[in-house]
Amino acid sequence: MPAATRADEGAGLGRFALLGVWAVVVVVFSIAMPGVFFNWNNFAVLAGSQAPAALLALALVIPLTSGDYDLSVGAVVTLAAMIIGVLNVWHSVPIGWTLLIALAAGITVGAVNAFFIVYFRIPSLVVTLASASLISGIVQWLSNSSTISGISPWLVDVTVNGRLFGIDFAFYYALAATALLWYVLEYTPAGRRLLFVGRSREVARLNGINVDRTRSASLLASSCLATLAGVVYAGTLGSADPFSGTNFLLPAFAAAFLGATSIIPGRFNAWGTFVAVYFLSTGITGLSMLGIPLWVTNVFNGGALLAAVTLSQFARGRQETDLG
Amino acid sequence: MNSGVGGIAASLAGCLAAAAFAGADPAAGVAHARQMIEAHQTKPVFTAPGAPFDARACAAGRKMLSIPNNSGNPFLKGIIEREIAAGKEVGLTVQEWQNQGQPNQWTQGVDFAIRNHFDIIDLISGIDPKTLEPQLRAAAAAGVKTMTSHFYDPAQAVDPLVAASLPVNFNAVGKLLADWVIMRSGGRANVVLVESDEVPPTAPLLRGFADEIAGFCPACRIVQRVNVGVTEWAVKIQPSVQSALLANPDVNFVVPIYDSMSQFVVPAVHLTGRQSGVKIATFNGTPFVLDYVRSGAVDMDIGESLDWIARATVDGYLRAECGLPVPKNIGVPLYLFDAGNVKDAGVPAGYDQGYGGDYLQGFRSAWKLR
Repeated sequence: MPAATRADEGAGLGRFALLGVWAVVVVVFSIAMPGVFFNWNNFAVLAGSQAPAALLALALVIPLTSGDYDLSVGAVVTLAAMIIGVLNVWHSVPIGWTLLIALAAGITVGAVNAFFIVYFRIPSLVVTLASASLISGIVQWLSNSSTISGISPWLVDVTVNGRLFGIDFAFYYALAATALLWYVLEYTPAGRRLLFVGRSREVARLNGINVDRTRSASLLASSCLATLAGVVYAGTLGSADPFSGTNFLLPAFAAAFLGATSIIPGRFNAWGTFVAVYFLSTGITGLSMLGIPLWVTNVFNGGALLAAVTLSQFARGRQETDLG
Repeated sequence: MNSGVGGIAASLAGCLAAAAFAGADPAAGVAHARQMIEAHQTKPVFTAPGAPFDARACAAGRKMLSIPNNSGNPFLKGIIEREIAAGKEVGLTVQEWQNQGQPNQWTQGVDFAIRNHFDIIDLISGIDPKTLEPQLRAAAAAGVKTMTSHFYDPAQAVDPLVAASLPVNFNAVGKLLADWVIMRSGGRANVVLVESDEVPPTAPLLRGFADEIAGFCPACRIVQRVNVGVTEWAVKIQPSVQSALLANPDVNFVVPIYDSMSQFVVPAVHLTGRQSGVKIATFNGTPFVLDYVRSGAVDMDIGESLDWIARATVDGYLRAECGLPVPKNIGVPLYLFDAGNVKDAGVPAGYDQGYGGDYLQGFRSAWKLR
């Protein structure tokens, strides 16, 4: 059998491997905790509480697809949440306006990132590392390094108080964002352009794609989605603090890379990332419920990522990927 | 009754009661807990940390460098800002060594103090002197005294390089948290503890909590302990507490031992739909958590006035610097905020409101200021 065909078959099986492992994890925890782990309430809580993490991971998928890193998304989450907190709680600005201002701030960050990356040709890793630090400083200045509670109940209502089938609305926002991103990446010319630019900027340029515009759009979209993650995060907590959003950056990268082993193996993709976020959080939830010390969850996260990527590559005949 | 003295008396009574309690009925434990709580819900009254002394004469020409473990921490920043203000009152120059929590910045700060002939290095409530041993040795050799405040528990050994320490009775904080839990649950608490074991005050605080539960609440149970490192609070507290609540339907109290953890505990309780059955009790008196108390999301928060801490620190350090006896304890009263008194902390809550102003005149008298 030709090598390429074997690899294709491996990829065909591999695309659902993560889902299979997820099912095994659920079964193992359900047996270990009969009547406790496998119930609707547990999964409903898990679904809602992981929505900000899912949105952040999706935000990373866009620039990763077009070949750029955006390390500022975690800081944008914090910026959006803190703008809402400062304006709504401290200055009594109506919540609707604070959301618009937060979105404008997020778009500005994306535009600034794009300007330095595309116009000055500075690597995205460097620019977004710098902008993350810059935003972090601005957020501390804005908030006087304080945590702000008492964000409008309306935002809390439309994220975690409102429920459909017992699951917080926040989950459906993440689900809708996943479906939209999947559609755009798979079925629109814009999505295809992102992929081509990510695979080879030179080839894309020779084929008539405006590479700079495509990369800029991906960075703007990434910041917008990170802002949405920040809004949902603020609604989930009902508060904002100047530091915690950045802590989600590395788990989001882990989910994006793990997601790239699933559904469309070898490519960053929306559904794979969505599955990865919930696979990892299922593992962590189960371990926590068993009362296992929390350092084990770090081992689980790292081990799962490494194992999944390795197995995926093995199944694909160790082909080169565009995962960086 | 003076609340500080009242607290000590209640603690002593507690120790004696614990010895006699084993096997007694739960109602007696609840009564004991109520007595302890009431002792900490009267407005704090100032107790002089020692004999009055001429603070101006003592402070004249002296300089202190305060090094927080992170200038982004509003609790520490708040104390240092108030130390600077208190220093101005007595003529002590207080400067902050701003940093972002990196140990190499702390070593730089110690070096700065040595080169610029400061008299005191103030490791305020955070940096473990063990992490700066070579630098603090050099400071001692250069005649710069290192002092700590609001860091050790009285039962903990003070690092030999520390010239003076103003400890806080974290063990008593743990006992008070347990007393609240015992009282509010009617002696039938099932508790999830949220802790950060790498922070030095955690051990004495948890010991106090466990001892009080063991001594006064035979039907209470610590169902699960969730240990989350400070840098991982945002990522791990919420899912871990959610899991603990889902796995243990009989839990009726979550105790995040440092109140900033509440930001992640409150949504966990909310998301699991357990607001009506699960109460939260915590410690620190951080304003946003006092706002949670006002809204009903948190049941109780044990607070300390930052201004009081700052003045007690300046007082204790000056006494040490001028060869006077140093108080054995920082002496800042613990005051419990619940739904009944939290409005005194302000709307929105502030750091120094609700504790009364008795201490301001108290320190002026202790420092012989007009």
